[in-house]
Amino acid sequence: MERTEALLIADLCEGDETALAPLVERYKRMVYRLAMQITKNHADADDVMQETFIKVYRSIRTFRKDAAFETWLYRITVNEALNFVKRRERQRESTLETASEADYEASTRYRAQIANDPHAHAEKAELRHHVTEAVNSLTLKHRTVVILHEFEGLTHAEIASILNCSEGTVRSRLHYARKKLRTLLQSYVDASQV
Amino acid sequence: MRSKCDKIERLLSDYIDGTLSERQTADVALHLRSCGYCKREVVDLKKTNHLLENFYVEPEASDAYYARFTTRLQHRIEQSAPTALYQRLSAVALRLGWHLRTRLHRRIDHSRFGGFLSIRQHAFPYYIFGLTLAMLVVAPLLLNQVSPHDDGGSRLGRLYAAAKIRFFSGDSPASVQPTAALAIKQDTETGTQPADLRRNVSSGRTTETLVVDSGSDVWLFTDEPMTEGYIFTALQENDSDTVPSVALDIDSELLAYAELPAQGTFWARLTSRDVLTESRYALLLLQGMDAGQHGLQQYERKWSGFKDFSQKLLDVPLEILSIPEVYDSSEL
Repeated sequence: MERTEALLIADLCEGDETALAPLVERYKRMVYRLAMQITKNHADADDVMQETFIKVYRSIRTFRKDAAFETWLYRITVNEALNFVKRRERQRESTLETASEADYEASTRYRAQIANDPHAHAEKAELRHHVTEAVNSLTLKHRTVVILHEFEGLTHAEIASILNCSEGTVRSRLHYARKKLRTLLQSYVDASQV
Repeated sequence: MRSKCDKIERLLSDYIDGTLSERQTADVALHLRSCGYCKREVVDLKKTNHLLENFYVEPEASDAYYARFTTRLQHRIEQSAPTALYQRLSAVALRLGWHLRTRLHRRIDHSRFGGFLSIRQHAFPYYIFGLTLAMLVVAPLLLNQVSPHDDGGSRLGRLYAAAKIRFFSGDSPASVQPTAALAIKQDTETGTQPADLRRNVSSGRTTETLVVDSGSDVWLFTDEPMTEGYIFTALQENDSDTVPSVALDIDSELLAYAELPAQGTFWARLTSRDVLTESRYALLLLQGMDAGQHGLQQYERKWSGFKDFSQKLLDVPLEILSIPEVYDSSEL
């Protein structure tokens, strides 16, 4: 029988290393997706993912049982990814964009979808590309809020808790991020029939 | 009007999400009815959201990558684990223990009593506390049980005490002065240097505890704690249960044997094992083997429960009898 998440966490707290693997299995895609969206670089996302689960393994005892594990994991992942990006920007500023964007495309479903769907409409493929690029071109703070709210479905309060800022800040960032996206995608917005 | 639009525009994002209060929602809706600019803004934002929802491509890695990642993560955790062999072994044992525990708990979860036992998840610290408490209570008892049959002198330390106590008949009681000496020698098996100790009963505080009555035929052995051992030298009347009376028939010598734990050890202190009890000493008459044989028989009858000690007594090494000031080996 599969252990429940609460039991896995309790076992991990008590030193049962075998409880980590099921948790990794359960959340690896979420962590990778988030890390990749923030870092825009597969190698960095891989490092973030490792650091995140190592931190979970080492700090599980600090996790409050009354909190949601997923939110706690979001917080660790986002903070690890943000720290990684800041470090990376300091270290290799000049070559960042070219390498990371190419890497992003290479490791996303985006390329696979186009390759596996020869009949896909070229316009839709282009639209996907532009929408994804628009999100990726947002500043780190705006991009993080958009990802957490639009794609991960977190509430303002949860995002505020993860980013350690006020809900007002989250609302403000989301507002400006949406405006920026609307501007970047203006031609598609105008053509959209929705 | 423009300032009103600016104010409303800041709320549009929340308006779309439906996270405004009822009053704010009503205010925005009212404004939108009369403001084409803000209305278009809302429509555009909704279209933008629609594009994001339907055309944004989330990154995803292959299953092969995740498999490799899991392996690398496991490897890294193992690398960060303790490296000493005993630490690794204990980690493996812990892991195995947890595996078994988990399997047991799964079985319990399936049983009818699973609900009652689910509290176990929160009771682990109490398990440990209870186990520690049980160990503290049971271990001293076990040690006390094991000790009398344990010939582990090298572990606990073994002390041989040779006492020579000479008594005289009652012909000239006034002139008789008791002479007694005790030699304590630590067992060489323990690797420690022999510590010889002699005490003369006619001197020091020992004199006060030794009452010699040459007319008496009763001995009582008591223990007087010393730094390195005990002296069994005391005399008391009318207690024939404690010592073979034949010992007093003649000018006698006694050899006393005692087994003591190593002084100052934790368990000794904890279990008060440094207090000499009856079960841990024995006596043997040495002088006058005829009487001694008889005395030994009496002794064995009386202390039949402690034959191990009488055997040990017979094994007392001869070296302790060669302390020149106390014993003359030729006399023995």
